[in-house]
Amino acid sequence: MGRTLPLVLFAFGAGTFPYCVQRVFFSTPMERQMGTVQKIFYFHVPLAWIMMLMGVVCGIAAAIQLRRQSSRAEATAIAAAEIVLVAGLGVLITGPIWGHATWGKAWTWDARQVSTGLLWLIFAAYVLVRHYGAAGSERLAAALAIFGAIDVPIIYYAVKIWKTTHPDNNVVGTLPPEMWATLWPCLAALLAMSLGLMLTRIRQEVAEISLDEGWVRIDDVVRSMTAKDDGKDADKDDGKDADKDASKDEE
Amino acid sequence: MNDATILLAAPTPGAGANEAAPAAGAGDYEKVEGRDRETIECQRACEAVAADKTASDYSHIVWAYGVIWALFCAYGIFLWRRSQRLADDISALNRKLERVR
Amino acid sequence: MPQPPAATTSLRSLARQTWLLARNDLRQEMRDFELVATAGFFTLVVLVMFGLSFSTLGRYAQPMAVPGILWLAVAFVGSLTLTRIFDREREADTLRALLAAPVHRLAIYLAKAGVTLAVLLGCCAILVPGLVLMFDAAAPFAERPLATFSLVFLGCAAYATIGTLFAAGLSTSGGKNVLLSVILYPLTSPALMFALVSTRTLLDGHPGFEGYLSQLVALDILQLVVSAWLFESVLVGTAGGSSRRKRSAGRRT
Repeated sequence: MGRTLPLVLFAFGAGTFPYCVQRVFFSTPMERQMGTVQKIFYFHVPLAWIMMLMGVVCGIAAAIQLRRQSSRAEATAIAAAEIVLVAGLGVLITGPIWGHATWGKAWTWDARQVSTGLLWLIFAAYVLVRHYGAAGSERLAAALAIFGAIDVPIIYYAVKIWKTTHPDNNVVGTLPPEMWATLWPCLAALLAMSLGLMLTRIRQEVAEISLDEGWVRIDDVVRSMTAKDDGKDADKDDGKDADKDASKDEE
Repeated sequence: MNDATILLAAPTPGAGANEAAPAAGAGDYEKVEGRDRETIECQRACEAVAADKTASDYSHIVWAYGVIWALFCAYGIFLWRRSQRLADDISALNRKLERVR
Repeated sequence: MPQPPAATTSLRSLARQTWLLARNDLRQEMRDFELVATAGFFTLVVLVMFGLSFSTLGRYAQPMAVPGILWLAVAFVGSLTLTRIFDREREADTLRALLAAPVHRLAIYLAKAGVTLAVLLGCCAILVPGLVLMFDAAAPFAERPLATFSLVFLGCAAYATIGTLFAAGLSTSGGKNVLLSVILYPLTSPALMFALVSTRTLLDGHPGFEGYLSQLVALDILQLVVSAWLFESVLVGTAGGSSRRKRSAGRRT
């Protein structure tokens, strides 16, 4: 189950993708104002949704990690944060590409751009703390993730009031049903890919955590055996070999 | 990238004008109401602008889609390399376990 | 005589402990003025640097630059102050002792946040008059002292609430202060934006100033509650054990 589910998700994503492209280019009417370039929308917007969803998932998992000391929750938080980074980078790159085509300018300090950028920075900070933090910084990183998840709506609101003096760039107006019908498969494909990657990453992290525990335990066993040998062979002066073995083991 | 190149090769205004020219010069023709040279040129010019926009749009789309899937692939490769490292670590642990036994 | 309810007593003891801890820190500071002197001087330097960079701005650009200068300076000084406050604890390893003592954990957090806020307000006492002197657009700061004080107080409080939590966590988890800026700047960006908007409306004489100020109050309360709630689990987790993973990783390599 744990191994097959990501594979099923990848297969689903890979199968749905050609259908999505077919729908995007052949079955969906052209948007009147923006023309062809609006077709970026069908992957850009689901990616932004996935980013926010994963941000919230990361916050919730971090809260569970803090409350219950669960290594599974910890692994989920890390995996979700990494997906936020990947999806966020996708959003932050495709957004300016779309903006360049429609507004003639890649980065316009549009409220959505700024809030997405800030959110991405918070989760990048989370991943940095996880990666470079000293021993015991897991809980600090968890607090950071919780703040990040809480910040999702606040940042959006703050940027909105920060931008009140500027015109509202409402790119996605009300969508006709055909466009929604195309958006859903695209969302499904991207979500399946992201979930597949996330589950793989969770499995890896859980494996890594138990592997670390295994190393600690085996080191403890080696050390206790060495101590026992030392005690036994103190008179016989044979303890040297055991010490040598242990130091070799510990590399 | 291919989509963009194909679209760039779509009919241009020059090609359209060439088709219209021999028909006008032949003398023996049936007049088509409302399709004078000016209208056709104007239409072709509009089409040229539209074609340029479509070509540029397609190149933007190809870049955007490419970036998305490249990112996912990069992350996939990162995960794959990580799993290789984990496998190495597991076999190291097993070796050590054997030695301890 | 009726006994006061338990909640009131615990609240009173919490306030007392907070005050004692904060007073202790302030008394230590009074002895050598290290933090006030360094942070105050740093504020002055930042102010002069900003003045050099932006003094030539025109009349129309100034109102847009001044809020940014004020809050970026607060952010810089804030990370310096937080690092120093908890460095002191780390040098003597007093935070660990404090956590082991029969003191309410919340009192530790509130005391530290209070001291940080006091230092930041002290720096703003240099920063705001300096801005008024340097930039014509900052004149409303002097004209509406009460509004300016509440704005500066709320903005600094927003910074101190989050900053104290993470600086404390980093100081007990063993070094790497560079991570404090990495965490702090993205995380305080909503507070920064609310403060920027409020300052801009204050400078423009915009009628919406009070509204934005009340939103800043709401943000302060939210951040205070979440930080206070997380403080114990972050500190206890980092100060006591739970370092199994890094320990093994260190041993393996």
